[in-house]
Amino acid sequence: MADRLTLSITIGAVTLFVIILELVRRKKLEEQYSLLWLGAAISLIILAASRNWWDTLIISIGVTYPPTALFIAGFVAMIMILLYFSTIITKLTQQNRQAAQQLGLLEWKLHELEKRLSRLPKS
Amino acid sequence: MSFSFPSGKRLVVMIPAYNEEASLARVIQNVREAIPFADIVVINDGSHDKTKSVGRESGAHVVNLPFNLGIGSAMQTGFLFARDNGYDFAIQVDGDGQHDPREIEVILTPLINGEADVIAGARYIEDRGYITPLPRRVGIIILSSIISLAVRRRVTDPTSGFRASNRKAIEYCAGDYPYDYPEPESVVQFFKAGLKMREVPVTMNPRYGGQSSITPLRSFYYMVKVILAIMIDLLRDTPRIR
Repeated sequence: MADRLTLSITIGAVTLFVIILELVRRKKLEEQYSLLWLGAAISLIILAASRNWWDTLIISIGVTYPPTALFIAGFVAMIMILLYFSTIITKLTQQNRQAAQQLGLLEWKLHELEKRLSRLPKS
Repeated sequence: MSFSFPSGKRLVVMIPAYNEEASLARVIQNVREAIPFADIVVINDGSHDKTKSVGRESGAHVVNLPFNLGIGSAMQTGFLFARDNGYDFAIQVDGDGQHDPREIEVILTPLINGEADVIAGARYIEDRGYITPLPRRVGIIILSSIISLAVRRRVTDPTSGFRASNRKAIEYCAGDYPYDYPEPESVVQFFKAGLKMREVPVTMNPRYGGQSSITPLRSFYYMVKVILAIMIDLLRDTPRIR
């Protein structure tokens, strides 16, 4: 029974790992952002391979039902990843804002130059 | 001209405008009549109406933002314009006609005299019959109390966007200016950066047209956001400028 569970978790984790690598290979995912996901997949694989050790650890910290701990760990990992994404969105927003401001200022400059150019005598 | 403007110095009036085609031409004309020697720059914050062409036809410089960035970022664009084009003084006037351009002199004179780095026109120093809806009045009292505590001096109207800045303040604001609902937060930032701000009493008009950026629904968010931003500003290390 335990072996079958270990096998399914391992298959799931390896699939996740391959999907992430494939996304990076096709440039659908930047290496920078893939690291967290790869890390998550690898920890899943390690977790699956060392289930006895994991179960002992979980029971020793007072959790009676190991899968609960897995859910909690997964939840915490998700929160960390979402927080990380919020910082990335913030950075993109700031860069977007600066780009828009520079675009506006450059458009004004271009407009001024065109006005000046149209006042020059045609040669 | 009832007051003297130092020769060789350059002044720009910055008007942020979001869908202000109804009032913009009148605001620009009033500014020009009040201070004919100033350049005018309209920051069109991604308007969906004719704000851009109204601004150009009125002879103002128009900086056109490709989409709506919010009042703070529009204002910062104005400061970038002022900084990059070497202006000595910059004045913020709302595009909706709430600020009376004839009062520019009131906020400009103490700035030219070097009394502070930023002069803000305040509604509530003297009672001039400006009617503010009660909830907003209460909000402003709460905000001004918090801000007065934070900057250790009395600030009566921290939401006023009618301000005059010298070169030092222009350079600071071009580099760092809050993105939305910027006025109260910037008061704290000026204090942290070592910029001196002073308030002088002014009269404000009701709006000519368009919509206030602050609807009753947004007021609560406004208060929470601004208070949070101020608290965080106080925790932040801001480089003091000299």
